[in-house]
Amino acid sequence: MSIDTASVAAGVREGMRSTDLRLSKYNPLSRILTFDDFNDGVHGWVELGGNYDGRGSLESLDRHFRDFRPPQLSNANFFDVGTHGGMTGTYSMKLATRRRPGHTSTAIRRLTMSGRGLLQIEAYVAWKVEANLGGGEEANSYGDITWDANSHPSEAQFGAFTVATDLCSEGVRYHNVMRFQNTDWDGHIVQKWMYPVVAEPTPHERFEGKHDYDTYTDFTAPDPDDWRYLSDVRQEACYNEVPTKINWHYVRFVVDTRTRSNVELQFNSDVYDLRDVPVPPYAEKYESLENLLNFYFSVRTLGPHRNFLFLDSVVISADW
Amino acid sequence: MRQSQSAVIERGAELEQVLETEPFETAWAGEARWYVQFLRPAPGSTVEMRVQISPDGINWIDHESVSAVQSEAVGLLSIPVERFGHWLRLRVEQKAGQESPLLRIYLELKE
Repeated sequence: MSIDTASVAAGVREGMRSTDLRLSKYNPLSRILTFDDFNDGVHGWVELGGNYDGRGSLESLDRHFRDFRPPQLSNANFFDVGTHGGMTGTYSMKLATRRRPGHTSTAIRRLTMSGRGLLQIEAYVAWKVEANLGGGEEANSYGDITWDANSHPSEAQFGAFTVATDLCSEGVRYHNVMRFQNTDWDGHIVQKWMYPVVAEPTPHERFEGKHDYDTYTDFTAPDPDDWRYLSDVRQEACYNEVPTKINWHYVRFVVDTRTRSNVELQFNSDVYDLRDVPVPPYAEKYESLENLLNFYFSVRTLGPHRNFLFLDSVVISADW
Repeated sequence: MRQSQSAVIERGAELEQVLETEPFETAWAGEARWYVQFLRPAPGSTVEMRVQISPDGINWIDHESVSAVQSEAVGLLSIPVERFGHWLRLRVEQKAGQESPLLRIYLELKE
C-alpha cells in the first residue's frame, strides 16, 4: 500500500494550524515566512523610504516619497470608548495619513525569495477616519453621507487602502497591486477593488528625468486613468457606523512569482479570480534587487481628514 | 529585551510660525525622547518647543513636568519625556527671527 506523503503532510500541517489559537484564523501556504503579531513590535514593517543620494540630502528624494509616515503601535484609543484594542491582544499596527488631500501613509516589509511559486499575504485589517469633535451642522454631512444614526459622514472621508508587492527576479521587477477604493475625491462612495495597468514610477526614472511628481501624488500609479475596477459590483464592508468602532476584516492576496502574475484576492467571504488581471513589469532591468520580495500596505486620504489603516496581524507564506 | 521604536516624525519640515507634529500613539512605551535637528538653521531666531499629551489624540495639553525648551534654531537638541500616557506630539513655535528653519524631528520610544 502506498502512502501519499504530501497529503499526509498537508493534513498534519492543517491539523496543527487549526489548533494554534493565534494562527487558526489564517490560511497560510505550506511555508510561513513571517507571522507579524503587533503585540510584540513592528516586525520589520517600516515607513517606505525614498532613494536619497550619497550625501543623504532631502532634495534628492522624490517629493512624493518624503513623507510616508512612521507606523504606530496602536491600542486603538478613542475619545468615546477609550481603548478598543486589537483583534488579539491590545496592539495593532496603525498607518495614519496627514490631513492633506492625497497624502499617503505606507509601511513596507522587506524580504527576498528563496524559491519561486505561489506567494501569499494575509491580514486582518480595519480602516477608519479620525473622529471629529465639534463644528456646526456642516459636520454632519460629507459627500454621499448625511448622518442618520446609521451611516456616519466619516465613512465618506476615507479614501483608499492598498496591499501590494515589489518583486524582482532575473532583473525583471514588477508590482502586484490591489486597492480598496472607498470613495472618490468628492466623498462619493465607490467601494470597489482596483488595480493599476502601469508600473509604479521609480526614483531611478526621476533621476533619468522621466518624471518629477508633487508631494501628494499617488505613488502607486499617479494617473487615475491607469486604474481599473476588478468588478463593477460594489464591495460592501463593515465600516460600522462611526469612526471609533473597529471590526476586523480578512484580506488574502495570492500571487505567483514563477509566472509573475496575480492569482487570487479574498476579502472576507468574497473571492476574486485575478488570473486575468495584468501585472505590468518594468521594461528596464533593475540592478541590486535580485530576488526582491517586498509587501506594502498603504492608506490614502482624498480630503482634509486623517485616514487610518489598522492591521491586527499579518502572515506571509509561500509554497516553495 | 525591551521593545523600542524610532519614528521620523518630520523629515524636512519648514517651520512656518507654528508646527504641531502629527499625533503619535505611545501607550506601549515607558520612556521617550525627542530629537530636533535644524537641517537649515536660522541663527538669530528663538524657537520654543513644548511636549504635549492627549487622552484621545484630538485634545492636547502641555506635559506638566516638561518645561518648554528654547533654541536659537541651530544644531541638534533633545528632550526626554516620562509618564506621558498614550499620545505624544511636539509643538514648535518660532518666537523671534525672520528666517524659517528646516526641521528634522525624531521620536524615540522604549518600553
